[in-house]
Amino acid sequence: MTTAFKQIRFSGLLVLWLIALMVFAVRAPAFFTLANFTSVLQFSTLLALVTLGQTLVILTGGGGIDLSVGGIVSLSGLAIASLIKAGTPALVAGIAGVVFGGILGSINGFLITRLRLLPLIVTLGTYYAYNGLALALTGGAPISGLPASFGLLGQDAVLAIPLHTWFLVAPIFLVMLFTLNQTPLGRWIYAVGSNEKAARLVGLPVDAIRLGAYALSGVLAALAGLVADSWLLSARPNIGDNLELLSLTATLLGGTSIFGGSGGLAGSLAAVLFFTSLQAGLQMLNVNSIWQLGLVGMFLIGSVLMDRIIRNAEPK
Amino acid sequence: MNWKQWLFGRRELTLALACVAVAAFFQFLSPYFLTADNLTTILRNSVELLLVSLGITFVLATAGIDIAVGGALGICAIFVGWSVQGGWPLPVVVLIGPLIGTGLGLVSATLIVQGKIPPIIATLGLFGVYRAAIFLLLGGSWISGLPDTLGPVVNPTIAGIPLTAIYILFFYFLGWVVIRWVPLGIAIRATGGNERAARLSGISVGGTKFFVYGFTGLLVGFAAFLYVARYRNVETSTGGLIALDAIVASVLGGTSVLGGKANLLGTMFGVLLVRLLQNGFVLIGVPSLWEQVITGALLIGVLILDAWAERRSPNYTRWLATR
Repeated sequence: MTTAFKQIRFSGLLVLWLIALMVFAVRAPAFFTLANFTSVLQFSTLLALVTLGQTLVILTGGGGIDLSVGGIVSLSGLAIASLIKAGTPALVAGIAGVVFGGILGSINGFLITRLRLLPLIVTLGTYYAYNGLALALTGGAPISGLPASFGLLGQDAVLAIPLHTWFLVAPIFLVMLFTLNQTPLGRWIYAVGSNEKAARLVGLPVDAIRLGAYALSGVLAALAGLVADSWLLSARPNIGDNLELLSLTATLLGGTSIFGGSGGLAGSLAAVLFFTSLQAGLQMLNVNSIWQLGLVGMFLIGSVLMDRIIRNAEPK
Repeated sequence: MNWKQWLFGRRELTLALACVAVAAFFQFLSPYFLTADNLTTILRNSVELLLVSLGITFVLATAGIDIAVGGALGICAIFVGWSVQGGWPLPVVVLIGPLIGTGLGLVSATLIVQGKIPPIIATLGLFGVYRAAIFLLLGGSWISGLPDTLGPVVNPTIAGIPLTAIYILFFYFLGWVVIRWVPLGIAIRATGGNERAARLSGISVGGTKFFVYGFTGLLVGFAAFLYVARYRNVETSTGGLIALDAIVASVLGGTSVLGGKANLLGTMFGVLLVRLLQNGFVLIGVPSLWEQVITGALLIGVLILDAWAERRSPNYTRWLATR
């Protein structure tokens, strides 16, 4: 991807964001308060964590996509909550839940890399299986009544920035960004995504890298489930609904190519912040949340279409 | 040909055996399973899925996918419901579903062919848009208590065969003619088998895709018509999980998600097996919330079995050697 293309891409997102902010400035001045800034970040964590995983999966190419992330968020959230209800210390329950999420993600990765099944069909299957399990195991009712002390991670903020932004999103983003841009592993990931055959021929562990991406996507989704539990002090079986659509859209809107091998995490994070500020603003304007779903669907199609148009306009 | 090849070589036969085995299993656990009443229920529940799966089989054969069919079915059903409510002339009521369905299918095709968007992205995006549209059109309330104007079109029987079954068989016959006897059928399989090669040999790949998504839309629209005719109401959740069910049924039937293969008879048996399982689990007391889990696991299970069977076939060794 050329820099010119990246710039157009990024400024397009910026323009969208500015338009949204201008609308909110006129219609909902309360949008520009410190409290709302905190709440936008509060909302963004779930999507940000899931999107970082989604971006990594898509970057490694081979038709990589993870439609099951929402189900993993819900299921691991439920696992953590039931462990805590059973008297497990919060830290142990959190770690167990994250490992559980990693296992769910590894199941995807195993089926895709070992059995050479299509990622989209595998994760479509696990999307229904995981979401369905979350609903079936709870009968659709949330597990509530977690101890208030458990809310520390999800509810407290320092300097108007939520704790989970400080301790989860920011460090994970920086570590992943550093790994992708400054380490051999990062180079490998881009290489695997842009030309699988060449990557295999030079001896890169293509399958291990992809398996790792799916596992990490599961881990990040489980962290999102943990944050949701701590924030709401309850685990909802449908907390992860639509996160696959949102994370996929944020990834593609942020400039990562659906075919893998080009793009990055910074764009994805910018798109996540765009989405969550849009969400918060629309909520203030009392716009039904079902509209957001339609809007996100259009963004998804629109961003890939824009990709095509810009690419075609670019001199070869 | 040894007995194993004879038994497992034909997908339809394997599936028919699987259906018998599943039926026997559930009959053992619940004596109600194999009653005429329950079998009728299973067939009735298969009507929409049979039509949608036929379309999905075509889409998968071109190496595409369409997960917006559920949303499209909901939208078509709303328009059919309104036309019944408004007392529009019968031909309009019959045609409005398929017309709108075809239109929606062509929208998918335009994005995929003209916009060069991968089918999963285009249809996932459309699914979000359609779900919002359903909410907008229904305004949060259901269309219910529709008059039985459509009864005479779907309920009568000819020589003991319900008209609905004849409609479905007609579409399957049409699909079979297309895939087996018409150049378009070769174009469909060629597009899915190797798109580049198909293009180079002069096949209109874009036109072929327009056909499969449009045809799927037509079937979805007709399924919506049959749905409204039988249930006489439309809810916001109408069509919900049908995309998954249809993909599972097609894959069960031996249609490859990698494209290039279509097995219509297999799809029919696939639908039957999916619905037998879903019905049986409810009968033996598994809450219906588990349906999603069972269907999702079924999809993964079939894919694993297929991959395993392929690995044992001589073709796989040959395929590995070319990599």
